[in-house]
Amino acid sequence: MAKNRLLRILTVLTSYGVLTFFALVMLFPFLVMLFTSLKTPADTFSYPPRLLPREQITVTLPGYERPLPLHLVEHEEGRTQPMALVEDNIRVGIFAPLQPDGSPDRSRVVMRRFGEVRVVGGEDPKTVLLDGAEVPVYEVNVDGEIQEMVVISRTAVGRFVNPDNPSESVLANVRLSPPVTRITAHPENYLTVVNLLGFDRALTNTALITILTVIGQLTTSVLGGYAFARLKFPGRDSLFLVYLGTVMVPFVVLIIPLYQLMVAIGWVNSMPALILPWLYTAYGTFLMRQFFITIPREVEEAALIDGASRLTILTRIFLPASVPALATLATFTFLYAWNSFFWPLVVVNTGNTRAQVLTLALNVLRGRASDSPNLILAGAAISIIPPTIVFALAQRYYVESVASSGLKG
Amino acid sequence: MRFLTFSPFVRLGAIALWVLSACAVPAPLPQQPAQPPAGEAPAAPASEEVVLRWRTRPDNKEEADVYASISDEVSKRIGVKLIYEPGGSETASYQDVLKTELASGTAPDVFWIPGTDIADFVERGLLLDLRPFAAKTPGYSDDNFYPEPMFHLTYNPATGKTGEVLWGLPRDVSTFVLYLNLDLINEAGAPDPRELAKAGKWDWAAFEEVARKVNALGGDIKGYGMNAWWGPYGAFMNAAGGGFFNKERNACNLTSKESLEGLAFLKKLYDEGLAVPYGEDSEPPFRAGKVGMFQNGRWATPGISTVTFNWDVVELPKGPSGHMGNWLFWGAYVVNKNTKHPELAWKLVDALTQPEIQAKVAARGTNIPSRRGEAVFEEFLKILPEKNNQAFLNGLADQPTAEGPLWTGSWPDFDRAMGAVVSDLLTGKITLEEFAKIACDEPSKAFNR
Amino acid sequence: MRLNRRLFLLSDLGPNRVLASLALWHGVQGALLIALGVGGLVSRTQLLSLVHGIALAGAVVVGFLSVVASIGIARRSHIGRAASLVVHYLLFIAALIGLASALDLFKGLDVLADYAAEGVPFLMAFVFMVGYALRTIELSERPVPRWRRRIGSAVMLVGGVGVALSLGLVTALLDWVAKLLQSPSALVWLALAVISVFLLRVMWRDPVAAWLGARRTHGEQLVGWLFLSPNLLGFLFFFAGPLLFSLYVSFTNWDAFNRRDWVGLENYARAFGLVVQPLRVPDQPASEALDVRTYSELMRVHLPGQSFLIGARDRLFWISLGNTLLFSALAVPLSVVPALFLAVLLNMRLPGMRLYRTLYFIPSVAAVVGVALIWQWMYNSQVGWINYFITEGINFINALLGTDIPDPQIRWLADSSYALLSVVIMSAWQWIGFNTVLFLAGLQTIPRELYEAATVDGANPRQQFFHITLPLLAPTTFYVLVTASIQALQVFDQVFIISNGTGGPGTSTLTMTLNLYQNGFQSFRQGYASALAWILFVVIFLFTLFQFRRQRKASSAYES
Repeated sequence: MAKNRLLRILTVLTSYGVLTFFALVMLFPFLVMLFTSLKTPADTFSYPPRLLPREQITVTLPGYERPLPLHLVEHEEGRTQPMALVEDNIRVGIFAPLQPDGSPDRSRVVMRRFGEVRVVGGEDPKTVLLDGAEVPVYEVNVDGEIQEMVVISRTAVGRFVNPDNPSESVLANVRLSPPVTRITAHPENYLTVVNLLGFDRALTNTALITILTVIGQLTTSVLGGYAFARLKFPGRDSLFLVYLGTVMVPFVVLIIPLYQLMVAIGWVNSMPALILPWLYTAYGTFLMRQFFITIPREVEEAALIDGASRLTILTRIFLPASVPALATLATFTFLYAWNSFFWPLVVVNTGNTRAQVLTLALNVLRGRASDSPNLILAGAAISIIPPTIVFALAQRYYVESVASSGLKG
Repeated sequence: MRFLTFSPFVRLGAIALWVLSACAVPAPLPQQPAQPPAGEAPAAPASEEVVLRWRTRPDNKEEADVYASISDEVSKRIGVKLIYEPGGSETASYQDVLKTELASGTAPDVFWIPGTDIADFVERGLLLDLRPFAAKTPGYSDDNFYPEPMFHLTYNPATGKTGEVLWGLPRDVSTFVLYLNLDLINEAGAPDPRELAKAGKWDWAAFEEVARKVNALGGDIKGYGMNAWWGPYGAFMNAAGGGFFNKERNACNLTSKESLEGLAFLKKLYDEGLAVPYGEDSEPPFRAGKVGMFQNGRWATPGISTVTFNWDVVELPKGPSGHMGNWLFWGAYVVNKNTKHPELAWKLVDALTQPEIQAKVAARGTNIPSRRGEAVFEEFLKILPEKNNQAFLNGLADQPTAEGPLWTGSWPDFDRAMGAVVSDLLTGKITLEEFAKIACDEPSKAFNR
Repeated sequence: MRLNRRLFLLSDLGPNRVLASLALWHGVQGALLIALGVGGLVSRTQLLSLVHGIALAGAVVVGFLSVVASIGIARRSHIGRAASLVVHYLLFIAALIGLASALDLFKGLDVLADYAAEGVPFLMAFVFMVGYALRTIELSERPVPRWRRRIGSAVMLVGGVGVALSLGLVTALLDWVAKLLQSPSALVWLALAVISVFLLRVMWRDPVAAWLGARRTHGEQLVGWLFLSPNLLGFLFFFAGPLLFSLYVSFTNWDAFNRRDWVGLENYARAFGLVVQPLRVPDQPASEALDVRTYSELMRVHLPGQSFLIGARDRLFWISLGNTLLFSALAVPLSVVPALFLAVLLNMRLPGMRLYRTLYFIPSVAAVVGVALIWQWMYNSQVGWINYFITEGINFINALLGTDIPDPQIRWLADSSYALLSVVIMSAWQWIGFNTVLFLAGLQTIPRELYEAATVDGANPRQQFFHITLPLLAPTTFYVLVTASIQALQVFDQVFIISNGTGGPGTSTLTMTLNLYQNGFQSFRQGYASALAWILFVVIFLFTLFQFRRQRKASSAYES
């Protein structure tokens, strides 16, 4: 018995572990989106990648006009310390002392600025042969002692000072000294995106299109679904089969003729093209019909005998009973209308701001701000957050009835 | 038993009426917020207002702003209300959208297209011949502009002769340079490419040495970076004495000895990991300070000038042919065949290519004027004085190959086929020998008409 | 008063006169419409514009119906009544559309968008919704108190009026009337609409119905069609019509600008054109074995002793077909199998499962465009998270086991061997949640008692899964597989964003839909693109049929 119990606990724990792992996988990209959208462009390119937006700390030191960035500088003895960068791109040489045989001793190198050293011989410089090339010999001061040295390599470094003791300064590689950072946030990225491409207009347009499409689809689907479910008329069942069959026709088959139809009517590049062709849906009709046939006939017949019209029956009896199905269809339509990309891409042009929608604006944004992932992801967030909220509100109906209504097919 | 009444009809009718009336167009709109701010022309002429729409393809926000401000300026000059529409960027299929709009009759009156697309647009009958208007314009001459673009812009496919017609005027020209991350180059102890170029020692060997030294810094640092389109690899082929086409521009030349030599050099850079992998956008890592040399045109300057490291530009290194094999990039303002105001559209094109306007574009650092002449260069050299603008002009002076359309074939088809096979080569999918055997098979189909 | 009204509805004139005049009216109407339609269709020798073609064909159809109505009414048949009602209904709709276009009402949607852009309408709509919530939401068991209902109604009223005002509905209505009075064509349309409504009413009246012998079922049939009509009109105009037109276009070489010649099956021949050539040596160049002006090398088949070269007229078609099938073959299992697994876990009905279910579902809610942008960034080979995780993982394994596995440093989106896989992973990620919810619903229909009985019989969980869960879940699995396949075969948004519309690197992410887009809207071979669309349709159809067959077989095996 105890063994069974242990097994049970283990199973539960493993299940939670697996479920949590997948939940993290599902959420992680959204976290990346949200946090990256709050970063500065430079921060997005840091490696290793980090979630939280960070920025470099600067300090103001007496004697320096501009604020100085802080870096973590590694000293020779291996100790690291935050220091302020006061001058960068200083070209220096790596000098090695000459051994008696004329070769440089690469184990005892020092770094010096070229201004600090002197060529031996002045006017008539002394040279040695190094790797097949004549190189000049320099006098270098090492701990107060003048040594003859040659340049074995060149590089550029920065000069750092200790912020607590500005007279203490070291030369060190800037790139390899990691910046000292603190957590920050740049919500103004969202404003930048909105101003950059008229995202506000795209947002209101998308909202308007979505609302009108949802209302229109609900209306036609409810009426059509009711006709298919409850009204007898010749050709009903064969027509229903045709409807069912069309669910399988991919949208791409329609894209060229539908586009040409829009050209013919003169709707290209305008809002009607984004709304009116989508007011009818075979899928929605099917969905509503499936729901309506489950409603008992008795109620309806009683109402008919009382002299109620079909429309009254539909609005007073059927609609209140089918809130879950309506919510499902509305959410489906909402997501479809909000996220659609292919059709707007074809029928609305990028230059047009009046009929711009979010997905298109995003597509332009990724070209215009190709160097600023923070802005692109801020745009993505603007397009993703509203449907997520709608889903969160509707999911009580939605998740359960997506499944059940879908399965009846 | 009146189970059916008219109430459904009446109700539906009322609803329909209400919905439809919601869509009525009210006469005066309260200050349309949707209008692109750039299009607001000051001092609009009264009564029947003529509005011209024009469009360019801005590569970034900075460029869009430049053209928006120019629109205002030109509007005042020619006394017509202008609406400037920044078109989609390169990734948002600018030319395809334009053609779709032309097919549906919603395209702008004047628009910019890249030089390579002129033939395609002309042969589809989408562009207006501007010659009659140009002939009446005092002071206009084809010779004011670079001859290579004008060759294509005045080519008449019906007669095969050039100089007869006028499809548009070049907006600007550009060439490639190498944008340098001086911090990386100095840190790597590599020689300064600018000094090598001055000393005449800036060739492929020197270029490779710098790339190698920078690359040796390790980590994610790369010596060189370019983007995956025909321009960058084409420059290497040109520099080796090869090119995409034969002299007559009617056959594929990718498998010539010279073209292969250029690609072989490039392939070596990629195979040895000296360059940002082919196919990845090199601009972000360059701007993040991780690439030593980044090959791009003048259009990248506004964006790059915001970086925090020390940067400059240098001309392309000279290849085996003794030249840097640079491109003369150009694009042109052309007029929609179906514009309602052809005369005004020409005026707009003419105004947009006047020296003062071009100077304004150049002043924002975006592009190089398309007009020739010392005065124009003088102006250009004054911009961003701390940077080496001469590098761009050196590129233009060293026998650049002009980008151009294919009058005997389809450039988009050629480009697509060539891009695929070159990508296979540079990402190591095929060897140079295999490339030499098959590279022209697909691109040649672009000449089948 | 009563008398006048009845006279107005013509009921007092007596059956004969009313019916005769109606039959006459329909006769004249039918003759006119047919003459107009046929005349219009015949007289235009040059290409008809699409809208005119549709309108004229519609006129012929309605005219024909009208003739039917005329004869039917004359013979006192209820069919005449039905035809008459249909004709007038269609005329009414046509008149409304005509009126709308005469007054430019459709373009008015753009203006509506201008008003909406100011944001106030959304605010007002929110106020309206708050009012509705106040009115209806029950906070406790008791019904909503009266005061709240009243306040709610008031708030709703404010919100509704606010929406109307801020959308400019009132000014629009006034403006509409003003325009109507100025436009003669609009007045004609309006008159037609009014006449249609009037005649509809006349025909609908009980006495007229009785004269024509219409029974209650006939009425119901008409109501059925009436209810279906908004749907059906949309179906015909925006679906069936375009579908047929697309079929026609696929037999032409239309370029959307000038050319539209009938080319028969050429487009299909071009897509499917293949040749197989034996090769002398396995690596013989394609240019020696093929006419490379027409054919391109697609692949080589090496059999023992002999190699063959397969050439295609349109290489990209075959590549895109291959990519699409490969994508589906990977993305469908990757999004279905983990979903089933997760659903089984969720079905353990432990506390907190609702939360997990919701979390899994979120990716399917987000726009593909946005999601693709996020993943594009995560896939970045140098600073992206995915390569970072891989590097860290490999370092960890190496440190743990002392092995020396190299870091692959995969260039996800720039390497043509990985690009499609990247899109597969992204799509599977996005679809898993949806499939999980479907499976979960299916699982919940399986009676618990079955498992309890199985446990008593000593079946272990694995046996239970394979012998109870899987067979009983078959209908769900079928549904999930079909929807996932249909979705996968049409993949477009993902590859368009990830490859900047090129299908690159190389041709590695060129799917059928993207190839169609490139042909239709980049090279403007709209005829060929239409043919590609139909081929894709057939592929999807075959796929679904195949799944149906398998499902049938499986379920019959289970039942027997």
